[in-house]
Amino acid sequence: MSTETMKRPRSAEPGAAGSGKLKFSGVLRSEFIKFFSLPSTLILILSTLVVMVGFAALSAWGIGVSMEAMASDPEMMAQMGVMGDMETMAAAIPGSGLMFAQLIMGALAVMVMSSEFATGAARSTFVAVPNRQLVLGAKTLLVSIVSIVVALVSLLLSYLLAKPIAENYKLSLEFSSEAFQRQLWFGVLYVLMVSLIALALGALLRNSAGGIVVLAALFFVLPIAVGSLSSIVSWLADVARFLPDAAGTALMMMPGADNALETWASGLVVAGWCIIPLAFAAVTLQRRDI
Amino acid sequence: MITAEALTKNYGTKRAVDSVSFTVQPGKVTGFLGPNGAGKSTTMRMIVGLDRPSIGNVTVNGRKYAEHAAPLREVGALLEAKSVHKSRSARTHLRALAATHSIPKKRVDDVIELTGLEAVATKKVGGFSLGMGQRLGIAVALLGDPQTLILDEPVNGLDPEGVLWVRNLARYQAAQGKTVFISSHLMSEMALTADHLIVIGRGRIIADAPIDQVIGGTNVPTCRVKTDSAEELMNALAAQDVQLTRLDAATVEVAGLDGRAIATRAMETGIMIYELTPVKQSLEAAYMALTQDEVEYHSHVGNPLTTANSGKQA
Repeated sequence: MSTETMKRPRSAEPGAAGSGKLKFSGVLRSEFIKFFSLPSTLILILSTLVVMVGFAALSAWGIGVSMEAMASDPEMMAQMGVMGDMETMAAAIPGSGLMFAQLIMGALAVMVMSSEFATGAARSTFVAVPNRQLVLGAKTLLVSIVSIVVALVSLLLSYLLAKPIAENYKLSLEFSSEAFQRQLWFGVLYVLMVSLIALALGALLRNSAGGIVVLAALFFVLPIAVGSLSSIVSWLADVARFLPDAAGTALMMMPGADNALETWASGLVVAGWCIIPLAFAAVTLQRRDI
Repeated sequence: MITAEALTKNYGTKRAVDSVSFTVQPGKVTGFLGPNGAGKSTTMRMIVGLDRPSIGNVTVNGRKYAEHAAPLREVGALLEAKSVHKSRSARTHLRALAATHSIPKKRVDDVIELTGLEAVATKKVGGFSLGMGQRLGIAVALLGDPQTLILDEPVNGLDPEGVLWVRNLARYQAAQGKTVFISSHLMSEMALTADHLIVIGRGRIIADAPIDQVIGGTNVPTCRVKTDSAEELMNALAAQDVQLTRLDAATVEVAGLDGRAIATRAMETGIMIYELTPVKQSLEAAYMALTQDEVEYHSHVGNPLTTANSGKQA
C-alpha cells in the first residue's frame, strides 16, 4: 500500500457529482446493484431453479412408476378411488420442490437485510439514505420482484420438464387446468410470502443465521409441533390453519381439503403474513440505532 | 455548518454523550479530540442520523441530516473503515451508493483515482488492508462532493504518505469554504491539521476554542535558560509558583516566569545568561492538563476556554 500514490486533492469541477436528489428509483437501483454484485445471490437463485426442476422431474417419474404398478393391480386401483384425483396429483408435480425452494429463497431474502448489519455496510447504506423506510421499501420491492420471477420461471421450467415425463406414464398435466393454474399462481404467491417474512426477520434480528433459523422454525418446526399438540389441545387445530405454511398450501390445493380455510380466508391470512411482519420491521428499523 | 444543541445519548444507563453543544464553522478544519470512548464517534453518528439522540438535536446547515433533499451532497462521512459488504468490490460499493443520488459513473471513477484505489477497485473489499479500507471510506465521503465532511479517525491505519494526504485534503476542503470536522485521539495530528479544536472527555465538551488558545490557554509561561551559573540562577529565581528544573549542567527550565522576568532577575543578581528560549507547550501537554482538570477540578475559572460545568467539586 505504501508504494501507492494518493493524488493531491484537487477541486472537483463544479457539478462533477451531478445534481441528482435522493429518490426512491435511485435507492431501488442501488439495491439491485448491491443484490446482483454478490456471488451468493446467483448461487442461491441457481440452486432454487435446480431444486425445483430436479424435484419436479423426480416426482413425475416416481408418481408415474407407482401409477403403472397400480394399473396392473385392479384391486389397488379400486382402493385409490376416484380417478379425478389423478389430475390434482399431476398438477402438483411441478411444485414438488417448493418446500426446499422456499427455504433457499427465504435465506436469500433474510440476507438482503441481515448482511447489511453483519458486514457494517448498513452504515454506508443508511448514511446515503437516511430515510430508512426508503431502504426497506426498495428492498421489499427488490425481494418481491426476484421471488416472483424466480418462482414463476422455476415453476414453468418444472412444468415443461415434468409434462413429457408424466405423459409418458399416461398422466395428463394440463397447463390450463384449474388445478395447475392454482399451483402456479398461488405457488408464486407462497414463495413471495416466504420471502417477505424472511426479509422482515432479517430486519428484526439483523443476523443471518438467526433469521434463517427462525424462518425454518416457522415453516417446518411449528406446523409439526402444533399439529402433534392439537390432538391434546383441541383449539390448536384452529391455530394451525392460520400458520403461513398451512394458509399458503391451502391456496395451492383445490378447495375442499379437510380442515383448510376457504380460499378467500386463506388469501387474507397470506396477505396478513406478507404485511404484518414487514410492518413490525419498519417500526423497528425506524426506532433502533444502526 | 454543524450545530449541536444539548446533544445527549444514553446507552442503557451509560451516558455516552452528555448534553454537548457546539458549532462547527465552515471554512476551517475543526478537530474533535478526545480519548477513546469519550463520545466522538457517537456524536458523529448522531449528526448523520445513524444514532438517534436521547435528548437534544443536531443540524447540518440548518436542517436535520435526514431532511435534506440530497443528503450525500450535503455531508460526506467516514464513520468506520470497511462499512462495506466483504464480497463486494470497491467500485461496486461506490456505484451502489452513487445510484441513490444519481451521481454519474464518472464521479465514481474520479474518487477512486483521487484516493489512489485504481489498482484494487475491482477487488473484493474483504481482502483490503486497514489503510485501503480507510481510503475507500474517504472515497465514499467525497462521492457527493459534499459541503460538509465528517471524518472519524481518518488517519487510522494510513501510512505516513496517506496521513499527509488526508491532512492536505482536509485543509484544501476547508480552504474551499467547506465545513470539515475530523475526530482523532492523536493530538500531534490535530495540532498539524486543525484550526479549531473541540475537546471532549467522558461525553462532555472540555474545550471549544481556536487551536492556539487550547495550547496556550492552560499554559504557564515556560522558558529554557542557559547559563554558566545554573545553581545561582535557580536560587535567584526560586519563588512560590515557579518551577525550576535542571536539564543539564548549563540548562534550567523555568516554568511560571516569562522571559522578561527571568532576564530582569538575572541582571539584578549579575548572573550571565546566554540563551533564553520560550518553550511552547505541546497540544498533548495542554490536552493532558485539560483532561486532568476535568477529572480533578471543578472548572477553569478565568481562562479563555469555554468550559463545561462538570458539576463536581474538587
